[in-house]
Amino acid sequence: MIKLETAHIEEVRGIRKLDIDFRKEKFAISGPNGSGKSGVIDAIEFGLTGQIGRLTGRGTKGLSVAEHGPHVDKVKFPDAAFVELQVYLTDLGKSVTIHRKISAPKKPKITPSGNDVKAALAEIADHPEMALSRREILRFILVEPAKRAEEIQALLKLDEIGAARSALYTAQNRLQSAEKAAASQTKANQDALLRHFQIPTLSSTSLLEETNKRRVILGLPEIAQLTADTKLNAGMSDGAKASDFNKVSVLRDLAAMSEAANGFPTLAKAEVAAVLKSLTLLESDPTLFAALQRRSFIEKGLELVDGPECPLCDTKWDSEQHLLDHLQAKLAKSEEALKVQQALLKDGAVVAQFIVPIMSLLAPVQKLALSHDEPEYSQLLLSWRAGLDDLRSKLVNVDGLLGLKDRLSGEWLDVQTTLLDGLQKLTAKVEAKPDQSATLDAQTFLTTAQLRLDDYREGMRKSKAAKVTFESAEAAYAAYCMVMDDELNALYQDVQEDFSTYYRTVNGDDESKFTAKLTPSEGRLEFDVNFYERGLYPPGAFHSEGHQDGMGVCLYLALMKRLFGERFKFALLDDVVMSVDSGHRREFCNLLKTHFPDTQFIITTHDRVWAEQMKSAGLVTSRTSLMFHGWSIEAGPVVESNKDVWDRIAIELGKGNVGDAAGTLCRHLEYTSRQLADQLGAPVPFRADGNHELGELLPNALSVLKGHYGKAASAAQSWGNQGLRDMVVARRDALSAAVGAQNVENWAVNKAVHYNEWANFDRKDFEPVVAAFKELLDCFRCDSCDSWLHVTPRGYPESLRCACNALNFNLKPKPK
Amino acid sequence: MATLQQIIAERFLTKLSESEDIDGSHIDQLRALLAENRKPKLDDFMRIFSLSSGDVK
Repeated sequence: MIKLETAHIEEVRGIRKLDIDFRKEKFAISGPNGSGKSGVIDAIEFGLTGQIGRLTGRGTKGLSVAEHGPHVDKVKFPDAAFVELQVYLTDLGKSVTIHRKISAPKKPKITPSGNDVKAALAEIADHPEMALSRREILRFILVEPAKRAEEIQALLKLDEIGAARSALYTAQNRLQSAEKAAASQTKANQDALLRHFQIPTLSSTSLLEETNKRRVILGLPEIAQLTADTKLNAGMSDGAKASDFNKVSVLRDLAAMSEAANGFPTLAKAEVAAVLKSLTLLESDPTLFAALQRRSFIEKGLELVDGPECPLCDTKWDSEQHLLDHLQAKLAKSEEALKVQQALLKDGAVVAQFIVPIMSLLAPVQKLALSHDEPEYSQLLLSWRAGLDDLRSKLVNVDGLLGLKDRLSGEWLDVQTTLLDGLQKLTAKVEAKPDQSATLDAQTFLTTAQLRLDDYREGMRKSKAAKVTFESAEAAYAAYCMVMDDELNALYQDVQEDFSTYYRTVNGDDESKFTAKLTPSEGRLEFDVNFYERGLYPPGAFHSEGHQDGMGVCLYLALMKRLFGERFKFALLDDVVMSVDSGHRREFCNLLKTHFPDTQFIITTHDRVWAEQMKSAGLVTSRTSLMFHGWSIEAGPVVESNKDVWDRIAIELGKGNVGDAAGTLCRHLEYTSRQLADQLGAPVPFRADGNHELGELLPNALSVLKGHYGKAASAAQSWGNQGLRDMVVARRDALSAAVGAQNVENWAVNKAVHYNEWANFDRKDFEPVVAAFKELLDCFRCDSCDSWLHVTPRGYPESLRCACNALNFNLKPKPK
Repeated sequence: MATLQQIIAERFLTKLSESEDIDGSHIDQLRALLAENRKPKLDDFMRIFSLSSGDVK
């Protein structure tokens, strides 16, 4: 895992050039909508993974990192767009630099490199879920159970497990079909053997009895025992073995074929009707038909995926995973088509099994026709047999079945009109032959018997092999399912407990007995939550949108903890608690601090109050937060921070750019005044749009801080804490002095409301203004943690303190 | 820390070794497959299961 040290972003998304020092700590980026916050998240995600989820997820057709990753003015110069991250690899205990260009997302320059570093970064690149946006958290909460299962399984990389399970399932099914086909062939071979021997059932006693009758005629020793190696015609000369024409047996084969032909018109009628029903349904519903065709097409593609290039259309994707997700999503859309597909394959396989015995009956008859001067009839039977084989193969796959409607609607076996005539003619020819002598009959009987026994044995061997193969696949699939279900149940149990704990931490004030239940079943994941102890309901049933947002983040955190355990060190949270109210956000800070003390969260928000809460709750500090004031297409985000604003003003003044320095100072004053007024509870005239001016904020913040210092000094005295009183008085005096200094420059400060006039100052006029404001603002902050002072609780302040508690002034005097 | 995939693969192979329905050589092949490929494909499994176990007559 990683922690982020620094980021340098150039020409990526809405950012022109930006450096951020993340310090391996929790970090907040705030700013109004469209100010570039998400651009930072995109850039970090790109730097770490080479991908930007916002451009490659669902609903992003037509978007790509290559075309839409660079700043809009650099689309034609993607080489100019890059991210350079200084990353600390927590497992290796070393820092590396990743320099990644939009034009070469898969070829980052990593310094220092090495196999251990590559492996660590490959793990990060494999986990784009470290970036979470509000759009994504709702995927876990407000979705169908089947979709939720899919989303959560993807997050936990369970798609890999699912892919193995799916491949095992398909292997089991295909091998079962192969086993059935082999069994059908064996049955046909057995029928041929029984017909030749004219025995009702297969037993070694019956076989040997009939065999030995012929062997006695030929003066051959009787066979006492039938083993796997027994040759029924053992001892016969090669010449005697040459002919397998046994008149009686051949006539039986011809009769069997004729008898079978009588049943052709009604053969598998119900089974064929079932196939036709599905095909007719598809014909009447073009959308369903198209979905089924696509399914078949996409399934082929999924099997062939090997890298980021689509095997179906050659489109190059950002990653193999992205391509697989895309294809899986398409498959998931055709549930109804899946049902039709399953019914078609099942019924088709049954019909196919009726064809095997016909092909077995045809083989000896075709051979007979050839040897009895009927080449045309032989060719006809050969072609028909090939046609039946083709039909059989089409009946066991979707593409083949889709083209069979016309054939199955009519005389689907395609029985040749000359079949029966040919059979009669052939029968007449055989019957016309003189009866074979007892010796010849015995010779040909044994030759044919051995051939058919060989066929039967071969069929049995193949059938047994197919059975063993199928049983192996069946056992493997069953074992995999059992193990997977056990592990997933345990996983979901852990996740539901962690989720409930986290949610209670955030909502303990009104849902202290909150519980949740995750129930996996057949590809679905039911998710129910307790609604004020009135029972379990889906999250969207009764809970507010704010609560649902909170649930989404808590579930994400529980899943990430399960995925990484103690190695969960980094996550990007992009505006994820926008619907959560102020009180619960404070508890959310508490959750992140207490349950994930060593995890670096980079949190963006458009809400100024939330940004300040993160500071006052000690989740972040002034050094680990950044505010964007706005954004322009030419300059990117307008950044404000406490840390280096005075340095930047000094640099601008050094260059003689008073106008730029004045603009920076004015934005900083607006930014801090808003914060100070909010955190100190200063009375401010109400404005519905919240766009207060500096003159409405700063004087009131000053006044209220003076008042708080006064109360704190009195309170300290009442408690007999002289040291604390002296400290408060010193701060109050410093504030008064700073206000005095500011008033010296009042003629200039008054123009701050319309700061454009500052631009007309020269450097020497403006430097004292800057110094006065810096001294003034320093009175509002803690020297240790650099945070702004705030009162707590809000509305009815009892203390004035900073984030690190180095400053903590009681405002309540000792009761008299 | 072993991933969930690795845990499942190991328990799967242990379970198979306790089963009488599957040949030892198949288990060895499956172990090798799962070790080298996180997303084994249908053809991989078909190839392994179709390997003759040598005891069919």
